[in-house]
Amino acid sequence: MSVRSAVAAVALALALTSGAVIVSGGGGDSDDGAGRSTPVAVGPAAPLDGLRGGDLDRGVEALRTRLRDQPKDFKSWATLGTAYVEQARTRGDPALYRAADRALDRSLELRPRYDAALAGRAAVAAARHDFRGALRHAEAALAENPYGERALATRIDALVELGRYGAASRAADEADARRPGIPVFTRYAYVRELRGDTATARRVLERALDGATARGDVAYVATALGQLAWRQGEYKTALRRCGAALRADSTYLPALECRARARAARGGRAAAVAGLRDVVGRQPLPGPVVALGELYEAKGDLARAREQYRLVDVWAALARANGVDPDLDTALAEADHGDRAEALRAARAEWGRRRTVHTADALGWALHVNGRDEEALPYARRATATGFKEAAFRYHRGMIERAVGDKEAARGSLASALKLNPGFSPVGAREAREALRSLGGDAS
Amino acid sequence: MTAHARSRQGRRGLAALVCGALAAGGLAAAGVSALEPGSARASSHREAPLISGQPQYDNTDVYAFVSPDKPDTTTLVANWTPFEEPAGGPNFYPFPEDAQYDIHIDSDGDAQGDLVYRWTFDSKVKNGNTFLYNTGQVTSLDDPDLNFTQTYDIDLLKLKDQKVVSTKKLANNLPVAPSRVGDASMPDYKKLRDQAVRKVAGGGTSYVGQADDPFFLDLQVFDSLYGGDLSQVGDDTLKGYSVNSVALQVPTAEIRQSEKQPTVGVWSTTQRKNAKGDYTQVSRLGNPLVNELVVPLRDKDKFNASSPWNDADFLQYVQKPELARLLEKVYGIKAAPEPRKDLVSVFLTGVKDLNQPPNVRPAEALRLNTSIKPSDDPKRLGVLDGDTAGFPNGRRLADDVVDIELQAVAGELVGNKNDLGDAVDTNDMAFGKTFPYLALPTSPTHAPATKGGGDNTSMRGALGGGAKVQGPSASDGSGGSDAVLIASAAAGAAGVLLVGLGLAWWRARRRGVGGVL
Repeated sequence: MSVRSAVAAVALALALTSGAVIVSGGGGDSDDGAGRSTPVAVGPAAPLDGLRGGDLDRGVEALRTRLRDQPKDFKSWATLGTAYVEQARTRGDPALYRAADRALDRSLELRPRYDAALAGRAAVAAARHDFRGALRHAEAALAENPYGERALATRIDALVELGRYGAASRAADEADARRPGIPVFTRYAYVRELRGDTATARRVLERALDGATARGDVAYVATALGQLAWRQGEYKTALRRCGAALRADSTYLPALECRARARAARGGRAAAVAGLRDVVGRQPLPGPVVALGELYEAKGDLARAREQYRLVDVWAALARANGVDPDLDTALAEADHGDRAEALRAARAEWGRRRTVHTADALGWALHVNGRDEEALPYARRATATGFKEAAFRYHRGMIERAVGDKEAARGSLASALKLNPGFSPVGAREAREALRSLGGDAS
Repeated sequence: MTAHARSRQGRRGLAALVCGALAAGGLAAAGVSALEPGSARASSHREAPLISGQPQYDNTDVYAFVSPDKPDTTTLVANWTPFEEPAGGPNFYPFPEDAQYDIHIDSDGDAQGDLVYRWTFDSKVKNGNTFLYNTGQVTSLDDPDLNFTQTYDIDLLKLKDQKVVSTKKLANNLPVAPSRVGDASMPDYKKLRDQAVRKVAGGGTSYVGQADDPFFLDLQVFDSLYGGDLSQVGDDTLKGYSVNSVALQVPTAEIRQSEKQPTVGVWSTTQRKNAKGDYTQVSRLGNPLVNELVVPLRDKDKFNASSPWNDADFLQYVQKPELARLLEKVYGIKAAPEPRKDLVSVFLTGVKDLNQPPNVRPAEALRLNTSIKPSDDPKRLGVLDGDTAGFPNGRRLADDVVDIELQAVAGELVGNKNDLGDAVDTNDMAFGKTFPYLALPTSPTHAPATKGGGDNTSMRGALGGGAKVQGPSASDGSGGSDAVLIASAAAGAAGVLLVGLGLAWWRARRRGVGGVL
């Protein structure tokens, strides 16, 4: 696939996505028994629907109309700016961030230091992976209103993404004491999970789910529980949670993706491929694109796999063109499936910006695929040092340990990756098994 | 008194959602991340949507009045979960299991609770294999066909110096009346509600369950502050919407300090269990609309987390109300001299010789003089119309608090006669003459939207962004018949007060139609 046709594919996917959004939830696949997002019969009905899909688009249109008449309504400007961020997320269209900037700037011109607009700026910055900016804006918003829910949540996000886990943990405690609720609970859970405390993460997410009534909230929180279960290799639980998410919103992409990954892990490759194709068709984000490519690769369909990997490049180019820094997302994809030198450049660049377990893992792996294993090892160790139970990190570490000749450590890391989540990646798990066997370990 | 004022958190969160996105930090769940960078292995940045609806923690209104048919008792009512939608199919609205709904009573005017009535809830599902609320026709509260049921406890906490000194269980596992899901499922909802009215320990009577939202106002008026057509106000935006209500009638002797000092302060809070496992106050409410009307935007969340003991923090906002100055600036109603002692009386201390306890510490609470007999001829404007049994002496269901507060802020009590109001003077449904006095929730079977038409503003749809939003009125000229706009206006209203763009949710009702004064 040429870059041009890949661009066309992405553009088409975006167009399809937008179309689907506008007609409200189109294209839900039906093999899950989860109806479409329209009426959820007599279930625990949501008192408030989410701002998703066509509803969000309608809300944006109404706000624009209103602001044409009342251009000094700073609250509506802030609302509109934040709505654009959400549209960007649901459509996978980063071009909307500039519109968000303009709306938020307008709000702040009319009402300097308006906390909701500052929180909106934090959200845009976080969406663009400018986590320092996100932190700065979130703190500015909290200086105005220490109880602002979104600013509290974004501050935690930013600290996590900057690798400041201790500060993130304190921020989560503070947010929890001030403003308990779904946004804070989900962050609180993740901060704990990053430290390896999956039990607390699960408990807090379950609390969030108990309090969730809006359909979008249910989908979001149930999916978080599904992803947590998947990372721990609990695929049946993951499928159950994702099923609950999809009953609330059959079009929720993260749930569809999580379900496909769980299916793949259980050996249901055909269903997984179909599921991921559906996801990628709506939003060609690097995660599911790479996962789909790996599923093709694992069954030997290299041409199709390469097509997917090329899509990542295109997505990255589009993201970059819109001010989104995609380095971390692309580093791993390039390391495994593309340009290794580019992978190392991207990983280094990202490590220069922020030092998290994820960037440490990416840099370690990029160094490894470029044959610089001695250099790679400290990064791989750092990636696993917080206790975060992520199989891919353990796999990367094990492969690097093997490369530097530390067989015993390698056996331990690889075995623990496979024990934790044997389906963490179609290609990676296969390689982990082979490596473990070559080391004389039990890769059953 | 912005419309959404009354809504406080509830409608604010609402509006937020509606508008397509946040208002003042109500947008929840989200950290809005972006393109969810590679999940699988590069799970760097976690996706989080921008939505959240958790109205079950949003306390919308508190009422306290001497029971009209039992003058030796006082009735307390508090509502949560605004904009419960009857239309659009069977919906139900559970009470949260991880919250405490509290009504606080200050018997001696020191701004500390002396008593706390605390409601907590449990849920049961009879048949876990179905998601159905009911599996057949429900003709009684213990009907096996009512698949999802809830019960509640009421604890009475006595406090001294803000510490609990005793706890007494007033009610244990009493049934919550179910959400009204339609005539086919519940052919006689009145019967179900009657069964849910129970005696409790200590001589009280209790009801917990769904009810028609007793608040009435026209949210649309808030849009008019941007220059819309005021001739369209006068529709009760809350018409047809229900709330979850707790109502308790107690012997007045239980709550007042003495016969000689019969005035009590009343406010409500919601406490929610947080991730750590502690209870955190997330909502607070005494006088209607005060949070949004008086408290500036940036302090609204702080107010929700605060306690009356610390209300000195907010005193200046009452003494120098921005709204009064706006009324002067935009509409030429001369603002009364500051500091506004009259408003301090209405909102913080009670009115001297009416409902002000001796040695009162200023605090935002409803103040009810329980010795004033219920009125045989209640006036919607309460004290302003000479009916001292009504707001701001406590609050009755039918008190027109939007008009009363607006007129008071404009200086009615200090000689600025005015007729400000939103042109909605009564609730759309009649209140009962006996406990719990609340009107029955609208049945989905009769809700306008179910019939595919009607003038009912689908606020919930609006909240959700408006997929099936209908206009508040087909002829609405203010930018399209889209309830999203209304909610947006509501969200903007509080801000507007501050910005000085003006506020015009009133009209001169007695001077003809739709005149902006």
